[in-house]
Amino acid sequence: MAHITLNQYLQQVLEAIDSRDGAFCAEMLSFKHPHVANPRLQLSSPEEKSMHLHCIFTMCSSFQAHKEENWALPIMFAATLDLRIFANNAEQQLQSKGKGKVGDMLEKAAEQLMSCFRVCASDNRAGIDDSKKWGMLFLINQLFKIYFKINKLHLCKPLIRAIDSSNLKDDYSTAQRVTYKYYVGRKAMFDSDFKQAEEYLAFSFTHCHRSCQRNKRLILIYLLPVKMLLGHMPTHQLLKKYDLMQFADVTKAVSEGNLLLLNEALVKHETFFIRCGIFLILEKLKIITYRNLFKKVYHLLKTHQLPLDAFLVALKMMKVEDVDIDEVQCILANLIYMGHIKGYISHQHQKLVVSKQNPFPPLSSVS
Amino acid sequence: MAANAAQQAPTPNWPYGSNSSGEGQVHENPEWEKARQALASISKSQNSTKTSPTNRTPQQAGPYQATDSSAVQQQQQQYYQQWYQQNQQQYAGYPYPYNYYYPMPPYGGPYPPGQYGVQGGYQTPTTPTGQAPAMPMMEDQSSSYSSQPPPPATPQPPPQSPTSTDPMMQGYNSGHIRPGYQGYQAPAYQPPQQQAPGQGPYGGPGRVDAKKPNNSNMNKGGQQLWQRMKQAPGSSAVKFNVQKRPYVMANHTFTPGEQAPGLASPTATNPSPGSVAATSTTSTGSAQTRPQDWPQAMKEYVQRCFTACESEEDKDRTEKVLKDLLQSRLQDGSAYTIDWTREPLPDLKPKQSRWEPVPQRSQENAIGRGGATRGRGGARLGNYRNVFSQRSPSSSSSHSSSRSPSPHSRHRDRSRHHRSDSGSQSDSSMSSDLRLPLSRRQQKAGRGRGAERERGRGAAGERGRGRGKANRGRRNMEDLSSGIGKKRKGGNAGLDFHDPNREAKKQSRAARFHTKLRTEPLVLNINVFDLPNGTQEGLSWDECPIVGTCQDITKNYLRLTCAPDPATVRPVSVLRKSLIAVQTHWKSNQDYLYACEQMKSIRQDLTVQGVRTDFTVEVYETHARIALEKGDHEEFNQCQTQLKALYKDCPSDNVGEFTSYRLIYYIFTKNSGDLTTELVYLTPELRADPCVAHALELRTAWALGNFHRFFRLYQNAPRMAAYLIDKFVERERNLALRAIIKTFRPSVPVEYVQSSLAFPDLDSCLVFLTGLGVIFTPSDPSKIDCKVSSASLTTS
Repeated sequence: MAHITLNQYLQQVLEAIDSRDGAFCAEMLSFKHPHVANPRLQLSSPEEKSMHLHCIFTMCSSFQAHKEENWALPIMFAATLDLRIFANNAEQQLQSKGKGKVGDMLEKAAEQLMSCFRVCASDNRAGIDDSKKWGMLFLINQLFKIYFKINKLHLCKPLIRAIDSSNLKDDYSTAQRVTYKYYVGRKAMFDSDFKQAEEYLAFSFTHCHRSCQRNKRLILIYLLPVKMLLGHMPTHQLLKKYDLMQFADVTKAVSEGNLLLLNEALVKHETFFIRCGIFLILEKLKIITYRNLFKKVYHLLKTHQLPLDAFLVALKMMKVEDVDIDEVQCILANLIYMGHIKGYISHQHQKLVVSKQNPFPPLSSVS
Repeated sequence: MAANAAQQAPTPNWPYGSNSSGEGQVHENPEWEKARQALASISKSQNSTKTSPTNRTPQQAGPYQATDSSAVQQQQQQYYQQWYQQNQQQYAGYPYPYNYYYPMPPYGGPYPPGQYGVQGGYQTPTTPTGQAPAMPMMEDQSSSYSSQPPPPATPQPPPQSPTSTDPMMQGYNSGHIRPGYQGYQAPAYQPPQQQAPGQGPYGGPGRVDAKKPNNSNMNKGGQQLWQRMKQAPGSSAVKFNVQKRPYVMANHTFTPGEQAPGLASPTATNPSPGSVAATSTTSTGSAQTRPQDWPQAMKEYVQRCFTACESEEDKDRTEKVLKDLLQSRLQDGSAYTIDWTREPLPDLKPKQSRWEPVPQRSQENAIGRGGATRGRGGARLGNYRNVFSQRSPSSSSSHSSSRSPSPHSRHRDRSRHHRSDSGSQSDSSMSSDLRLPLSRRQQKAGRGRGAERERGRGAAGERGRGRGKANRGRRNMEDLSSGIGKKRKGGNAGLDFHDPNREAKKQSRAARFHTKLRTEPLVLNINVFDLPNGTQEGLSWDECPIVGTCQDITKNYLRLTCAPDPATVRPVSVLRKSLIAVQTHWKSNQDYLYACEQMKSIRQDLTVQGVRTDFTVEVYETHARIALEKGDHEEFNQCQTQLKALYKDCPSDNVGEFTSYRLIYYIFTKNSGDLTTELVYLTPELRADPCVAHALELRTAWALGNFHRFFRLYQNAPRMAAYLIDKFVERERNLALRAIIKTFRPSVPVEYVQSSLAFPDLDSCLVFLTGLGVIFTPSDPSKIDCKVSSASLTTS
């Protein structure tokens, strides 16, 4: 197969098109297909790319021509996937040469994908089985990948809306839905909508194919912080299974209210967390840690009127530098404001007065 | 030449492409222009006199009306934009609104944009400045035309092949039509002659004059086609003239020595300025009468031909064919006798778009615009540069031998044209001028469509190629003519004659070639898509450094929309003084508008000269600080963006400071994504920088809602960070106050709020609180009644 002649190749493609065998045709046209390895096709890279882009163009137009039909969707999938990968490589090469604007290539690719997407999304006439709307989610996922890469999350919004309003949203293939929810979950997380983020990421995690360990790990990287913020701490085994031990200390520190350990853990794995884009989320765990720490103080003092000095001592124990009583008030004020503590501060008496019932409500019930 | 000859000539009836000798092409070109001019003047006179409109079929007239006004105006606008961009610097006072130039930002910027890269007067060597502007017009026209229904008569190859008629009409044109053109053009032409910067105003009025009649005509309907025809030459000519001026000026101011040689050759061949005046006056007269003589049916025929065009290429081809045809007809008088309605339309087969013989292409690239890599944009810049460096026309003869329009030769050419513009409008110069619009247009198209055009260049027979080739050929020819040919022409008393037989011979030769060439392998030219971009990318300021000569310490900022003129650009040594002057002025006067403008002009001069040194960093840092102090975030961000790029090459001591500003700015925009990205790139060294460390602490405090710490950091902000934090301090205070009021019971002293939220004094705190509708305890006004206030806060 690897060394078929051009004629053979074209013949096969033609047959696939004639028989409307979209999947096979897609395979043939994909750059993953062995024919690409043919040395005769190894021109200089720009040609290859532009040819491929051209494929996308023609496909787009031919796609539009095939109204009422959607057998060619797999071809589009293959082409768009290739396009994105090419754009990615081009981007990297340009960057390594120090040329070009960051994200330029990817943005151009995104434009093409968008034009495909519009074709799909506007296919209103065909029946549900023949509708090109079945291609929407795949394209959206490709676009998500680009947008996340170039940090343009705001561009995701219209796409999400398109899917939300689609009546097919639950009928796409599981693989596509898993990908989709993964990205939407991540977006919700960055938007600090942790409840929704948890929902999407959890769906993603539970429905991800068991053989896709790498993907599951990726999902976990975002699901864990969200879960922790909502008060669900991961087990040691889970972290071990997915090789996410970077979270181990964080988990321990948060549940113990060990601010010191948390700070150390964050510093230790800062690079990893920042690269994953979750550092800022994990940082919010500090608030949870404060809560747990202060809860311990409350349990120690066993009273509803807690002198602020006690919290100051606790914080100093955690080696929080240059903290003063005003800052303690500030931290407490935030916890109360966010609902982590039920109570109030008496400025006059310098005391925290907590509710007699359930002064530290469970995290999952908060916010 | 050989290469040209080797080009294939698929369509026999396309004589022009088949010309293998440059000279013939040269002549054709001017002729063609003249024809267009003549047409234009005809239509003009018709419109003005309201002579009987042609009996057009409604089908034909309709579309024109619909499209005309908008299309034509667009065209004009484009012209003006281009013109403007190139001249804008000099003519600061020019009244045109900015939006005119907006569409063309590429010009003002680094030049790279592919579309414009080639075009412009800059690059076109032989057909100097005029070419580029013409192109946009044509494109527009084609677009407007394309939708129109084909004329009744189906296009056919013109039986009377242009070749045979060619010589005759040339004679005709040179004798009769050109004057008309001159007359029409005269107003526009004059400004260039003066050559001084002071002319600026002239360009404006001149243009307007030329344009206005067109506009008015356009609206009259019925005559649209003619207007269009007329307009094209008119406006293009105007444009051409105007465009040249800057160069001329530049030459005068800067390189007088160089200019002399440039002037020399044209002068030799051209009549004296005095004679120009004479010619132009006479020509005006004849122009008025001449065109009107044209038979109505012929005009109609022209219209039909253009209506049949489906694309820009078609239009180009049509023009060329028509030119020859009409000229010959007019010359031999058959124009008044033959039945134009029966005349077959010129054959316009669409050229093959993407297949081409391999050898040709490579040749094109090599010869063409000085190599593909150099690209259109590159060539342009190169030319520009050459304006100042390479003006010696000494080697004009070499042009004839090499077809390649190298920047130099182009340049030389152009200089000649300046000369002719400014000095005389002799026949020869006229003819070259006439050539301009067309070839320029073609060139532009070439640029826009990139490879296609290039491909076309050498091809002999085929339509598209033929055209392309003709252009270049002409250009080269123009080289020739400007050197050798011009002299010859001069001897001919300015008539653009050439051997009729020669044309025929060329044709037949081309015909032979085209059959041969067909056998060559065809290759799918994938590059078509890539070329424009590829060439574009290679272009940057770095590749075309200019060095300014302006000695002014201060200079007003003017948005650059054309190639920079070294006369108005200050070198770094002067800029250093400028920076100091601005800084002292700022310290003493605190006049932000002045400082900002001066800084912007300094930045512009640096950019234009491709200066990226520590001094550049200093300038941007200074401007960023001044802008920050005055809260001009637009300028501040521009500087920040530049600094980020600059720091890669020229690290400064202030990297930390500006990194911290960037971090803080992301806090302001709440852009956690960018913030994370920024964090990724923070090196440990950078983190240790006091400014960055402060910004990071601030960010942490902000993220955790630790307002106490946040405001403490705000009060201790290093350098100018506080100015930036000011931007969102109110927002944070608001949030903090809500937390405070919800938390404290029963009340909280105002002093606590004041110190926590870093209010400078009690009064400002009270203003803030009352502004939010906070309620104080009745018994003690220095305390906030939290319970009541929280209710009012939530409702507010």
